[in-house]
Amino acid sequence: MLKKISIKKINDLAAALMEKGTLLAPVKEAAGHNFAEIKDPQQLDLDYYNTIVSPKTVFLPQKEDFVRYETAKPVAEAQPVALNIKATFLFGVRPCDAKSFQIMDIHFHASGIIDPYWQQRRDATVIFGSAFDLDIPAQDADFYQTLGIGAADPEGSDVFMVKKGEDLLMKAITPQGEEILARLAMLGEGKPADKKYFEEYIKKGSQHQTRNMCLDPQVIAKKLEDIFHSGEFWQAQSAACLSCGICTFVCPTCYCFDICDDTLFSRGVRRRVWDACMFTDFTLEASGHNPRTHVYQRLRQKVCHKYSFHVRKYGVISCVGCGRCTRYCPVNIDIYSIIQDAMKA
Amino acid sequence: MTDFKQIENNLKKEAKKLLESAEVPVVLAYTRGYDEKHPMPFAAKSVADVEKIVFNEYCNFNMARYIMRFPDAAKIAIAAKAADSRALVVLIQEEKVRREDLVILGIPASGMKDPKTDQLIDSRTTGGLYNPVEYDILLGEEIRGQKTVSPYAVLADYEAMDKEARWAFWKGQLDKCIRCYACRKACPMCYCDPCFIDQNKPRWADKAPQSPGNMMYHLTRFHHLAGRCIDCGECSRACPVGIPLYLFHKKVAKECEEMFGQAAGMKLEDKPVLVDFRVEDSDQILK
Repeated sequence: MLKKISIKKINDLAAALMEKGTLLAPVKEAAGHNFAEIKDPQQLDLDYYNTIVSPKTVFLPQKEDFVRYETAKPVAEAQPVALNIKATFLFGVRPCDAKSFQIMDIHFHASGIIDPYWQQRRDATVIFGSAFDLDIPAQDADFYQTLGIGAADPEGSDVFMVKKGEDLLMKAITPQGEEILARLAMLGEGKPADKKYFEEYIKKGSQHQTRNMCLDPQVIAKKLEDIFHSGEFWQAQSAACLSCGICTFVCPTCYCFDICDDTLFSRGVRRRVWDACMFTDFTLEASGHNPRTHVYQRLRQKVCHKYSFHVRKYGVISCVGCGRCTRYCPVNIDIYSIIQDAMKA
Repeated sequence: MTDFKQIENNLKKEAKKLLESAEVPVVLAYTRGYDEKHPMPFAAKSVADVEKIVFNEYCNFNMARYIMRFPDAAKIAIAAKAADSRALVVLIQEEKVRREDLVILGIPASGMKDPKTDQLIDSRTTGGLYNPVEYDILLGEEIRGQKTVSPYAVLADYEAMDKEARWAFWKGQLDKCIRCYACRKACPMCYCDPCFIDQNKPRWADKAPQSPGNMMYHLTRFHHLAGRCIDCGECSRACPVGIPLYLFHKKVAKECEEMFGQAAGMKLEDKPVLVDFRVEDSDQILK
């Protein structure tokens, strides 16, 4: 099913989606766009490259409250925090990010241990993927092509959107996508010319240049195993690393978290909060021992987890080449260059 | 002004001399990152590494941040712009490093740029100085006759706000924080191990990125930097969500300067203001 709408009327589409559920889309903030709830249809904005933080926030919010308790009361009286799931439309997801959800599903669903928080949100959400504008060159940090993702790749989206002049073409990719498009009365039918344009755009998208190298997951996984103990390699790669958490926090495939009890005056909340392998206390054990005290050990863990351990365990690289870690690194550490150097090492 | 390419050549020349003569085992400088616009801090450890050194308008990292990473090195050479040199002065005053263990390769530079915005880095977000305050070798001509604007001029709008408006301003800004801690990690003055915010017993604040914890983290950090911040602006440039942290640091620095007549890291022989006691010191803070 291919539908279309004039970009001028995009706010009508926003209003219709808001009637049917929660609409989340990139919203302009001081430092750039981020996914947020659209409260006013006029807020919907198609003029962005990609968001600062990845849309994983929608399914794995940085802070998730589980249980409220009072320390003076019995444990049985602790109150679970209701999830309040509502139909959600996640609008304007770039192809690399749509792909990241499938990788994250491995951990929160497919590995057999289902995380109800992730899964219920995931089930309630329709993903409106959006192609990168092929007339604009990819940003220098991006390398999604290396991971086999096209700039107009519909994989991972329920509905995929492509701009055609003044129109926005919307194609249903999954049954969930079919259903929502059928319910949006303001959409016009796509003409055969639109269909042709859409298909060609997707093909053209796979040729859209980002940084690109030939990368076989098994080869890089093996290579990283071989150089794991090369202190010299990792120390050189991490010489500039500040060991802050930007790269992991903006990353669409980093999922590590901590469970904290935040108590104030005997009332508290047990919650999940993002954690990062780049933090000093990430591996701090109760005994006081810390197996990763050096910056190089932490950066090595991050790179090897994504490009080696993950491949060994699940068969796929846990990176989509969105370029966020590189783009926001205060000292310009670039995972693509590290992988390139590892291949040569 | 000596151009960036010439400074790069001078930097290479001095680094080569120092490493060749084995006077130092490490030269802290910059190297090319994934492209020219994105250089990286770099530790040159051999003559072969010297060729990898670069210097251009995007080399705005505060290299003093890395000075404590080489506990085994008897002596370290460091490329230092104005702000880096001020940070070194504070670290020397705080006995984190000894002056005689450093070879400071001073870089006079104006026209540094933020690669994210391509905007000039000047007194709006930094101390706005061009020449290092302390060095052994200067890698270019001292910059003279450049128009200087007070680093506190940018505070005009902030100071026009009343107490409630300032509280609302900071609450709004700090609510954006995602607690990636890039600000403290980019800061040459944040060397505590562990940082108070990472302590478990006691826990000083929630780990969650929300108002009380964010306030606790930032306000404590702001005050830990009172009289110590040398206004390099790295915290604000590192911030992925664009919190203007420099405003708070500048405001505190200004008050320190007014009360104690001293800016942080300007002279080796100064005592840090919060360590030094003088009978004539201002007692305004006690009112």
